[in-house]
Amino acid sequence: MTTAWVHAEVPQTGADAAAFELLAAARAAADVVEVVAFGPGSSAAAEALGAHGARRVYACDEASMASARAGALILERLIQEHRPDLVLFPTSYAGRDLAARLQARTGSTLMSNATAVSGPDRARTEILGGTRIVDVRLEGPTPRLVLLKPRSAEPEPVADGGVADVVPVAADVPADLREPRVLTRQVEAGSGPSLDDARVVVAGGRGLGSPQGFEILAALADAIEGAAVGASRAAVDAGWMPYASQIGQTGKTVKPDVYIAVGISGALQHLVGMKGSRRVIAVNKDADAPMMRLADLGVVGDLAQFVPALTQEIRRRTGS
Amino acid sequence: MRGAIVRTARVDAERDAQRGRVGRELTHVLGQRKLFQKLTPGLMHAFIFWGFLVLLPTIAEAMLAIVDPSWSLPILGHWPPFVFAVDLFASLVIAGVGVAFWIRKVQRPDRFRGSHLRDADRTLVAILAIAGTLLLWNATRVALGTYPHPAAAPVSRALANLFAGGAGTETASRILVWSHVLIVLGFLAYLPGSKHLHILTAVPNVWLAKPRPSGRLVPLRLDLEGPQEDLRFGAGTAADLSRKQTLDLFTCTECGRCQEVCPAWATGKPLSPKLLIMDLRDHVSTQAERVLSARAGGVVELQPLVPAAVDDEVVWDCVTCGACVRECPVDIEHVDTIVDLRRHLVMAESRFPTEAGRLLRGIEGANENPWSQPPSARVDWAEGLDVRILQPGDRAPEYLFWVGCAGAFDERAQEATRSVARLLAATGTDFAILGPRERCTGDPARRMGHEYLFQQLAERNIEVLGETGVTKIVASCAHCFNTLANEYPDYGGRFEVIHHTELLARLIGQGRLTPGPDARAGTATLHDPCYLGRHNGVFEAPREIVGAAAGATVEMPRSKERSFCCGAGGARMWMEELEGTTRINDARFAEAAATGADVVATACPYCTVMLDDAAKSAGSDVRVADVATLLAESVLDAPAAGPGA
Repeated sequence: MTTAWVHAEVPQTGADAAAFELLAAARAAADVVEVVAFGPGSSAAAEALGAHGARRVYACDEASMASARAGALILERLIQEHRPDLVLFPTSYAGRDLAARLQARTGSTLMSNATAVSGPDRARTEILGGTRIVDVRLEGPTPRLVLLKPRSAEPEPVADGGVADVVPVAADVPADLREPRVLTRQVEAGSGPSLDDARVVVAGGRGLGSPQGFEILAALADAIEGAAVGASRAAVDAGWMPYASQIGQTGKTVKPDVYIAVGISGALQHLVGMKGSRRVIAVNKDADAPMMRLADLGVVGDLAQFVPALTQEIRRRTGS
Repeated sequence: MRGAIVRTARVDAERDAQRGRVGRELTHVLGQRKLFQKLTPGLMHAFIFWGFLVLLPTIAEAMLAIVDPSWSLPILGHWPPFVFAVDLFASLVIAGVGVAFWIRKVQRPDRFRGSHLRDADRTLVAILAIAGTLLLWNATRVALGTYPHPAAAPVSRALANLFAGGAGTETASRILVWSHVLIVLGFLAYLPGSKHLHILTAVPNVWLAKPRPSGRLVPLRLDLEGPQEDLRFGAGTAADLSRKQTLDLFTCTECGRCQEVCPAWATGKPLSPKLLIMDLRDHVSTQAERVLSARAGGVVELQPLVPAAVDDEVVWDCVTCGACVRECPVDIEHVDTIVDLRRHLVMAESRFPTEAGRLLRGIEGANENPWSQPPSARVDWAEGLDVRILQPGDRAPEYLFWVGCAGAFDERAQEATRSVARLLAATGTDFAILGPRERCTGDPARRMGHEYLFQQLAERNIEVLGETGVTKIVASCAHCFNTLANEYPDYGGRFEVIHHTELLARLIGQGRLTPGPDARAGTATLHDPCYLGRHNGVFEAPREIVGAAAGATVEMPRSKERSFCCGAGGARMWMEELEGTTRINDARFAEAAATGADVVATACPYCTVMLDDAAKSAGSDVRVADVATLLAESVLDAPAAGPGA
């Protein structure tokens, strides 16, 4: 009889689809499926987990146990005691952290990016950019460890599911392992919404002529709710804006409702990063610039006059 | 150990190194041709190299003379021309060492940065001592009257004045011949651990070098259905390096000629081809025992080449321009090794600069081009022009015009594409394009290391090209041109491939295109695209066009074989260039602008885009345009001129 364990991350709202996917995948790989869950709410999730086929939940409800350093130690002890054949982890930050730390302790095989498991030592993955599917046999000491990609299995309750037996696990680890230690914290500079999810993007290019041009754009973005400032590669290359604000083939891809391109001629490299925008407004002194052809609205003129006037008008109408 | 590592390494059957081997040995080794690319160091090296070839028999003579002082070389040693040659070349070796020390101690060129300078000093002192003791020994023999034909040895005769003859000279003679032989033997013992080992490895290394054109990469041939043991995803550890790749490492003398011409190094990037080879060599040396035991079937853990030997960034800095390979006197092939390192990173580890991911996804995706543009947009440039789009089953044209993704989609490159099409139409050339059925040739994927993706694209393109029945292809992009001409034959795609500059130059030569003198652009300077020029030897065709279409031409300091890359090759077009002191395109544009030219003429869409970007960021009004654009303006747009014939 083979046993597969699932490491379930139980959020405050209770066990969710992420854990149920792992359970569904684990049922295809082993006869018995059990769960290990660390952190508050773990015991309480026994009913939901049981409905999805978990016979037993090794639970530790202590908040400090969510630390991967502590989790790996406890998990190693549980494995030595109960000897499962396979442990499945979700491909999440915490899952990867825990699986890697556990692997370093047990020396077992750890496979990442799996899309399915078909037995205690069989897993499937995609290689070469997803163009090939390969079946992999896992070797080395048991249990084999597998990181399953999200949405690899369909969550499905079992017919004979019941409340899983809860096996309380003592949080018996050295204090210094319990808390993740934060050494430094770095906050990415910038205010307002991030480029990726801004509703309106105001982007500038070489046509701005200087870093001061971006101050004019920042004022415009400030006047529009949910707007962020981006830049073309030329403006970033010139050192006017940080690389993080670059939009294009080798920068970010944005798909805002409105894209306001100021002084951007529209090189292919840039268009690739913003052509999914719903509406494009181009401001340029050159009426023949490629960006003008792409734009729903093109303004030919001096951006130093037009942009501040636009900012002022928006402020007047929105009353801000 | 070094020998065993090379011997047990995998032999690349794909190298096709049969052609031109003997010729290369004669020109590169005996003729020292690549060394003469730098005149003074070339002469210095040739003196020493040719000197030692001549002096080899005298070393044998000295060894036997230790046993019997009266012994001299039979026949050869008594032949006055040889006696003279020994005298002359021993002196030239000493002169060569002098020049070498002058270069190293006085000139101190930057190419030696990072090289083992003391190893070189020791080697030079040994060479000096070998030649010096020989000359002095000969001088004692002249003084003692035991030297055959002293008349043919003016230097030895002059030195003989130092010796009075008699017992003192006899003792000096014994000391000198013993020193000579001991220094030679000591040097031979020092050699295997030294970079001077090239005197033994250069000959086989040149023998194993790839034949031209240098634009063809050695294929990997991934057969995913074949036996797993044969699957190789590039070079991950020291054990994966092929025999040539390993021999390259032990052949490098750290002369730094590659470093001097490398665009990455010149613009302050961490990559130097010389340091790359040295780092790999040092790594392979420390891993030697493990590599040998792995190859003998043992289970050992080998460190990954990247980053244990070489940093990630170094691997990605390369523009594959081939300047290093061309410059290397002993035919080290840096570019193939770098691409092999990339292959492992990309295919086995999925590790590459993040921003290049979109390039691969674009080529892999349904649109099959780097910018993920819809295939239907491939013909947008032809709007308003009479260009035949080849449909399945259509009659094959004489020339298939391979437009390329950049030429089809990039605003600035489209100008050249339109010009080529207009010129071909004006001369009545029978041509057609594939239109939406064209896709990326796979060049950027291959240069980035994604051999599998390249292979898929090559196979699909060859299938489509085969169905059309065309035999001749004219390509506009230098990268497409290189891939179609040099790399597709490895996958069964054999076509007569020419570049648009070659076809247009031919049409000018036939009098079918006559540029109008009134419409000539001002002074133009030609930037040789690496994949047209250095990698494929097409230098004259673009010059003929510029010569015809421009009022005057001027050459940049670095041109033709020694052209300096625009920065876009090796898939760098789709990567950010954030490190370094300058960007490569800015450096090249500055060089072009310094000639005083009004126009920088190019012949490749990558170069056009890169140099145009540089011109804009420099705020310069120097124009960047493809030679085809200049020609079209001169031939078609001139008020008084039209197409000839």
